[in-house]
Amino acid sequence: MTETSSTIDPKLLEILVCPLTKGPLVYDKAAQELISEQAHLAYPIRDGIPIMLVDEARRVQTT
Amino acid sequence: MKGLRYGPGMNRENPTDLDDGAVKDETHFGFKTVERDQKSGMVRSVFNGVAGQYDLMNDLMSMGVHRLWKTAMIDWLNPQPGWRLLDVAGGTGDIAQRFLERADERSRECSPSSAVTVCDINEAMVGVGRDRALDRGALERISWTCGDAEKLPVASSSVDAYTIAFGIRNVTNIEAALAEAKRVLKPGGRFMCLEFSHVIIPGLKSAYDTYSFKVLPALGELVAKNREAYQYLAESIRQFPEQETFAEMIADAGLGQVKVRNLSGGIAALHSAWRI
Repeated sequence: MTETSSTIDPKLLEILVCPLTKGPLVYDKAAQELISEQAHLAYPIRDGIPIMLVDEARRVQTT
Repeated sequence: MKGLRYGPGMNRENPTDLDDGAVKDETHFGFKTVERDQKSGMVRSVFNGVAGQYDLMNDLMSMGVHRLWKTAMIDWLNPQPGWRLLDVAGGTGDIAQRFLERADERSRECSPSSAVTVCDINEAMVGVGRDRALDRGALERISWTCGDAEKLPVASSSVDAYTIAFGIRNVTNIEAALAEAKRVLKPGGRFMCLEFSHVIIPGLKSAYDTYSFKVLPALGELVAKNREAYQYLAESIRQFPEQETFAEMIADAGLGQVKVRNLSGGIAALHSAWRI
């Protein structure tokens, strides 16, 4: 993996929200996921590109 | 291509798509009528099939004219230094690149830098665009994400301009996409849509019909090895609302100052509006 594909653009993170709740996202750098705690969904980041589709997200339990 | 055969047989092949006794909510997929929740997946697989050859096909099928239309779009948009653009369905980064070039022409030393976020439902298209931008060394100010125009993953009132070029036709619920456009725009932000439209010159209409239903699918087969994708293209253009109807839809979404410009006799049209 090159550097560009393993890091996410900080400018992009500024405006990204959960497509379902429009709520904030938590960036899990190790897992390469963006987590919407409100929606209990983790959106994958593949090859540096956040995949913000509910169909592609993983259900997660958040506290 | 087997993967592109849709229609009534689809549910039989794919029982998980069945909607347990629910009332069927149907929409258009080209001239076929399909259930609403299936359209975005179908559109996605059409574009998955052509991602690599997408820009080449656009050149061939419009004989290069799509470039002039995109230039007309950027002219009217009139990008300013420091603008943040959200380009929806802009997979290959074409509009993003043009936007930045134009904004830079106007920029001075002290100007804030402009930036684009490209949001496309199709992962393959975004991948092609990102790799192309990498090759050009233009990656820095373009960010890429995969998302649905009806459910944008973008904060409210966060962008100065929203563009969608040849994308809104493929959206299942156009009203929802327009509402999202309004939501993400800052007050005073600009909406600009480029889409195939309806020919307004009688003499041009029959030639255009022959071209798009005979020549286009054949070209698609030859170049992208995908006749169905380009058959869908021609059909979906005819299903899209006419200029004035679409302008009304934009106004109904709460955007103001809606204006239309026909391009090439209405083969395509630009719709401009503002978030007041």
